[in-house]
Amino acid sequence: MTKKQPEDTKLLMLPSELVDRLRDASSRNGTSLSGYAIEVLEEALRAEKLGARLGEAVEAYRMDEIHRGAGAMVVPRSSLGHLVEDLNGHGENISAIWEEAGRWYGRFLTGKLAGDEVMPFLRRDLLTSWNLDEVEISDGDDAVLRFTGFGMSEEFTKLLLSYVHGLMESLGYAEVEIDSLRGMATIKYIRHKM
Amino acid sequence: MSKRKMLAAEEDLANKVAELAEKRGLTVYQTVNDILEQAIRAEEQGLNLKEAVDRRGDMEHAREMGLTFTVEHLYYQVVDAAYSKDKERIRQLWSDMGLWYGKYFKNKGGEPVKGLTEALGFLTHGSQFTAERGKPDELIVSCINERYSRGYTEVFATFIEAAFQVLGYKTLENEASRGIIRIRLAKE
Repeated sequence: MTKKQPEDTKLLMLPSELVDRLRDASSRNGTSLSGYAIEVLEEALRAEKLGARLGEAVEAYRMDEIHRGAGAMVVPRSSLGHLVEDLNGHGENISAIWEEAGRWYGRFLTGKLAGDEVMPFLRRDLLTSWNLDEVEISDGDDAVLRFTGFGMSEEFTKLLLSYVHGLMESLGYAEVEIDSLRGMATIKYIRHKM
Repeated sequence: MSKRKMLAAEEDLANKVAELAEKRGLTVYQTVNDILEQAIRAEEQGLNLKEAVDRRGDMEHAREMGLTFTVEHLYYQVVDAAYSKDKERIRQLWSDMGLWYGKYFKNKGGEPVKGLTEALGFLTHGSQFTAERGKPDELIVSCINERYSRGYTEVFATFIEAAFQVLGYKTLENEASRGIIRIRLAKE
């Protein structure tokens, strides 16, 4: 509910607990509580215009920061596809270097995120970075990773499998079963004994 | 029930929040609460909200343009491996991609040169990228990144050249040596 106030303002109700946290946040930002809250609401409306909730924008930003911190770059997706197809079958050990990249990234994520954040992050990351349509990862001692990319080529699927192999291995998981076809795979793992 | 406090907001902003709440099927109170909660959490993680929303816009734009993330050093290795096998084919591939992007911005309307320049800025994040007007009707595009491999520098220069060609620019000079690209273009 909003209440009409003089001078074209309305009052928005907030729980006191949130006001206290807002006060802390605004003082860290060197602004007033109301100034900070208004700014936040304006940014949320701007994010909404871009088709995202504020939380999604924050998550995407965090992922982008992690990618860049891990030495990622932005490239035309088609270039990567053409190159991978071009090099396939030419004796290049592209899969091996992608597997190593996955292994390195797994270690990087372990150092960057809290333990329970890694798998949820990885799910979103694979969806975005590999342009997949579906990714599911179940955590635990017997983990299962399932992905689907309807438009993914066979060469790219192989590359992703190599990457995921290295990545999951560095997170402490060994593959026990792989069921894959072009653009989709279900991989079962057991956790290494530490 | 917790004690509530009031926050004064301009009518226009409050109305937009109310519209958003309606769209989400929530009350204004729940919506404001949800937004502020997210913001505080982001702030506590040291994230800048404005930057996050800006970046979201960039990422959405990148997705529309068919861009993706990949591991930088791997990408250079793959480009160099393919380039060393067949220079002409890989150069042609990058030229075709450049033509595609040029056409994308041309057909999109608005200011295609500005759109392409911004996209190149996004693609070259982490590099020193500039596109400056030289003499009248001239444009000097330069990009410096010490991590670029020789092969990647050459094909990326081809890409830039081809993209501007679609927008009516001919190349007067194209200097590409490992990690350094400088292309002087003139409006035809």
